[in-house]
Amino acid sequence: MLLNALLIFIGEALVAIGVFCDLAASIGMIRFPNFYTRLHAATVGTIGGAVVPLIGVALMALGADWLGNYRFFLAGASIVAGILILLLAPVGSHVLAQAAHKAGLASHEPIAFDHLEEDRRRGEKE
Amino acid sequence: MKASELFVLVSIIVFIFSLAYITSLGGLGQLPPVNVRLLAQRYLELTWNPLKPFMSSSGYESVTAIVWDFRGLDTFFETAVFYGAIIAAIAIYRGVKITGKGRTTGMSPIARTITRLSIILIPTVAASIALHGHLTPGGGFQAGSVATVVVVLIIMVFGRKALIRKGMTKARILLFRSLGLLGIGFTAVAILLAGIILGLNAYIFQNQPKPFAPLGFPKLYDGMILGGSLLLFNLFEFIAVTAGFTLVLLLLSLGEEEVRGVVEK
Repeated sequence: MLLNALLIFIGEALVAIGVFCDLAASIGMIRFPNFYTRLHAATVGTIGGAVVPLIGVALMALGADWLGNYRFFLAGASIVAGILILLLAPVGSHVLAQAAHKAGLASHEPIAFDHLEEDRRRGEKE
Repeated sequence: MKASELFVLVSIIVFIFSLAYITSLGGLGQLPPVNVRLLAQRYLELTWNPLKPFMSSSGYESVTAIVWDFRGLDTFFETAVFYGAIIAAIAIYRGVKITGKGRTTGMSPIARTITRLSIILIPTVAASIALHGHLTPGGGFQAGSVATVVVVLIIMVFGRKALIRKGMTKARILLFRSLGLLGIGFTAVAILLAGIILGLNAYIFQNQPKPFAPLGFPKLYDGMILGGSLLLFNLFEFIAVTAGFTLVLLLLSLGEEEVRGVVEK
């Protein structure tokens, strides 16, 4: 079937994108200068490196006829897990960044501008 | 490269190679004797075996069958030890007033919104682990541990007082824990009680009918595998473990100043 082959090809492409994102994220985790940019690299690893391949796995499973009915279980579980990570991982990064900013534990340098700090100062003035 | 970094690198390499060397020297010891491996074979063979109904358990999952059927009495006493520890924790905190009064700050609206979503999702996963425990890997304890994540999230994101204001008071959690434990105890002796009432021979922790003991929990319902007592044990263990962990987390989240006045008396 052409459709099945197409689904498997698209799925494999998504998994390949995930591999690239994971590689980029792991290089970023080592090379980026401060906590906040490293957090960005970690989020690239979770969204690009986990959610995208999970969607790819779901498409591959849907295209894999020889798995029988189990392909729907596999695809459903992958999509649900992908959506959950898509919802939860950014919140984890957000909470970590907010806590680090509030406690002032992580170094800000190098920095262009800091909207959160400006907002906080404005709030203290008012 | 600094000397300390070099030291870390060298020690990791030495650790890996020494582990490999020890393993290749026979670090795993002798293989278990043949009769021990036969026992494992028996477990695998008898977990679900319609050809030997008097010897087999009632679910597909052999870990659950071993834990709650083949060695059910052992697990029962393990549960008793676990609850002994929790009762000791409650005894230390006796007299401490846990109220939901006062302001809670909590985390940002983003964190709160997503936590509200996961408060629904996590118990769903936990219930599926518990109620499917006789068919797929899982079981009551694991499901209870998963469900406890909700409590950690509520305490971290909304604050402990929000948990109490939502109705999770100490008395209510204690009620749920007692319900779970009573359920486990009742499931363990249910067939024995029925046997005494009907004047038949029966055993404690009996799941399926045995020779000269014809009573047993239902194995199948309408072609669906019920798992006999395994399902009930998993369900009640799920309730009991969730309530026990919730109670301990609630007590641990109390501030020092709230506890000190009572403990120092």
